[in-house]
Amino acid sequence: MITRTRSSLMHLLAACIASLAAGAPGQGAAAAAVPTPPGPELLRGRCGGCHLQSGGDHFARISDIRKTPEGWLMTIVRMQHLHQAQLSAEERDTLVRYLADTQGLAPAETAPARYALERRPNVKDLQLPGDLQTMCARCHSAARIALQRRDAQDWLKHVHWHLAQWPTIEYQQNARDRLWWQKATTEVPQELGKLFPLHSQAWADWSQRPHADLSGTWLVHGHEPGQGDYWGVATIARTGDDEYRQTYALDTAAGEHVSGESKVILYTGFEWRGSGTRAAREVHEVYALSEDGGSLSGRWFEAAHPEIGADWQAVRAGPAQLLAVNPSALRTGAAARVIVLGSGLDGAVSFGPGTHSRVLERTAHSLSVEVRVDAAATPGYRQVSVGRLSAGQLFAVYDKVTRLEVSPAFAIARLGGGRIDPVAAQFDALAYTDLAGADGVTAVRLGYLPVRWSVQPYDQQARAAQDEKFAGRIDGTGRFLPAAAGPNPQRKFSGNNAGDLAVEASLEDMAPAVTGKAHLIVTVQRWNNPPIY
Amino acid sequence: MAAIASIRMPGMVLLALVATGAALAAPRRDYLITGAKPDRLFVIDAAARTIKSEWSIPGANDLVATIVPSPDGRIAYVLVNKMESISGIDLDTGREVFRADLSTPGERVKCMFGFDVTPDGRELIVYELPVKLGLSEYQVEDTRFAVFDTAAGLDARPVRQFPAPRRIHTVLARKDGKSFFAFGFDLYEFDRVSGRQLGERGIRNWTYAQHSIPDLLAFWPASEPTGVFSTPVYSSVPAADGKGEVPKTALLTLDLTSGKLDYHDFEDTAALIFSTVLSPDRSEAFGVYSQLSRIDTRSNALAKRVDLDHTYYSVAVSTDGKEVYAAGAMCDVTVFDPVTLGRRANLKLPGCPDQSLASLRVVRR
Repeated sequence: MITRTRSSLMHLLAACIASLAAGAPGQGAAAAAVPTPPGPELLRGRCGGCHLQSGGDHFARISDIRKTPEGWLMTIVRMQHLHQAQLSAEERDTLVRYLADTQGLAPAETAPARYALERRPNVKDLQLPGDLQTMCARCHSAARIALQRRDAQDWLKHVHWHLAQWPTIEYQQNARDRLWWQKATTEVPQELGKLFPLHSQAWADWSQRPHADLSGTWLVHGHEPGQGDYWGVATIARTGDDEYRQTYALDTAAGEHVSGESKVILYTGFEWRGSGTRAAREVHEVYALSEDGGSLSGRWFEAAHPEIGADWQAVRAGPAQLLAVNPSALRTGAAARVIVLGSGLDGAVSFGPGTHSRVLERTAHSLSVEVRVDAAATPGYRQVSVGRLSAGQLFAVYDKVTRLEVSPAFAIARLGGGRIDPVAAQFDALAYTDLAGADGVTAVRLGYLPVRWSVQPYDQQARAAQDEKFAGRIDGTGRFLPAAAGPNPQRKFSGNNAGDLAVEASLEDMAPAVTGKAHLIVTVQRWNNPPIY
Repeated sequence: MAAIASIRMPGMVLLALVATGAALAAPRRDYLITGAKPDRLFVIDAAARTIKSEWSIPGANDLVATIVPSPDGRIAYVLVNKMESISGIDLDTGREVFRADLSTPGERVKCMFGFDVTPDGRELIVYELPVKLGLSEYQVEDTRFAVFDTAAGLDARPVRQFPAPRRIHTVLARKDGKSFFAFGFDLYEFDRVSGRQLGERGIRNWTYAQHSIPDLLAFWPASEPTGVFSTPVYSSVPAADGKGEVPKTALLTLDLTSGKLDYHDFEDTAALIFSTVLSPDRSEAFGVYSQLSRIDTRSNALAKRVDLDHTYYSVAVSTDGKEVYAAGAMCDVTVFDPVTLGRRANLKLPGCPDQSLASLRVVRR
């Protein structure tokens, strides 16, 4: 039963995560022939049988909670899975949109925990105050708690639900060392009600604001770990209320042209959820519209592997601005074609002292410039200017790389097998030249350089267990691909292929070679993979 | 007789014994009882290294956890069905002869592994975690003990219920049949009939000089063959140099006849141990996880430790003390020499089913 439960829940979640992002019709043309009832009607008809309506529009429990789109989706899927709520895919989509719009979180309320929505791997989680960290965040990410709003009374009901559903909670490590239930039913709901209350001024204000129209041309830039920087132009076209279609054309640092498109729903007036294809990859997009409506930022990731993805920054084209320069550094004596991304890129181009620039091509939003750096140029940041626009830290000159910073500095990869895919860890090496000056050392960021990747045992214990042999391998882009899960008779105790590894990046065209290190734990599968951990 | 005839013995066919009439006088022997997902219950002839019976537990729902044999060794009471049912299986026929479905409409009840049968075999004492299922919310209710009549058949309802502390994990009937013990934050003793709490001894609130609050979580309730339950307990003491803490493993024993509770450190924690069992003369204890440990209970010292081929959760010892058995976690039962801790035999369960938390019990018949 446990097996089937997990399997069907995961199937449900996988299916609906796609629809959350896509705004795609759920299942079949037959359903489309019958218009989906609006949110309030669905609440009454599909939820009101258990969540009794009282005092007008108040539905028990439902009306006492605010959540993100993912939060509402998880709740509704749980209702389908555990309580046989009868909803078509269209009806579920409609309900998620209605609830996220009417009982969502304001931008400022989601800001500290957006990494969880963006499925960012290997980030340091929020720290909840006091014992909440142990009471809640020993199982969940703290972000998952911080992305909900309830009053103490409903937090208490939430605690009851937790122990009812998972009676092992009070027996677990970090629970059995305290009077868990007593604490969980007294201090915890009170503290959560104060930290994350149902009513807030931020939401009261935001929920009154009209939703922006995102139609138009946007300039995009970002960095995909292991692949390099990218930049380009996106066109957003409105297809319905809070619904859009985005197309984009990008160039990458590797010299590739990438095009993509996505279908988008804008939840809660700022929560961009897109789903589409980027080259041949199926991707989801989780972006936030800035409160002024002028920029979008977030992360896109592969649908099947959320750990693989990249930052996405987009601003409305129009206002004159310098956004990005790629490559962002050149070595003394080198010459290269450099791209400048922005708007209003008119006038003379300069990359500062010790450089020579020649514009090769101008488009509406980019310049292609041949830049030559004198062999004797002084290392450091350069002021890049185009006409009257200038920026101080978008470009640098260096004579040597003095430091490689491997990110993430601490990462987790997960073994795969059976129904659970492995979770890779993607590393990146950011180069710096540290310049000593009268005011101390200035770290000049040079950007991401191709390096040679390797893994070694992290310590003696890992060496004795030959973790580097069993846990997986790292490829030329810095992506660690974990081995298969399950008992391995070749290992002591038939242990699985877990490992404790040191990841090393080496830049060998420097003499002596410059290296950077990170720590990688390769561990067991995560069996439960909801949209918010 | 038909059931007995199904016993397989090494190198001979039982029918030959039956023909001479020797079967009726056959000496008693040890049988190992273990379970596995999704619904398996195995009866293993320990000496013959053979599976005597493999039974299916109705409505096990992919869980076969705590196993409690009846005092006469004929019935195994097994926690199944998402920890919501106890099924009594006749070990000779495989027939379900007892069933207590703890949950009722409107109330979901789980047993967190803690239940036992009384020494007279007449009652099961079950630790219950009830939850009231409302329309749009759940209400966790106070924990309790429920007593079932083992003769109640397949629709057993509690004959008595009384309040229980939270977080109980092991229930053990006292040998005189008048009371029972329950391990939770501390060790409690309750009157079997009235449910009145007779005693409370420190576990969380122990008074072990300089020791931290201990950690104890035992899901393996075996006390055979000695009638003394044992389990590892983890705590720490301040380091001699005043810097930091030294983790300690103690062996806790509870004599189910005298009620004597005892605990002594036997090592600075160097291995994880899930379950332990005492040798028949109580001079040694054996513990398993990824290693098999032998503990000298007179000197309170680790006597020997060997690495195992994989992790085992549940340990048992033969009635004569000449063999140690390990099971649980995976799909085999391994036999060890109690002195060398060397491996003597290994029995793979058919189809390699997951024993997980299932208890390994020894019945002698």
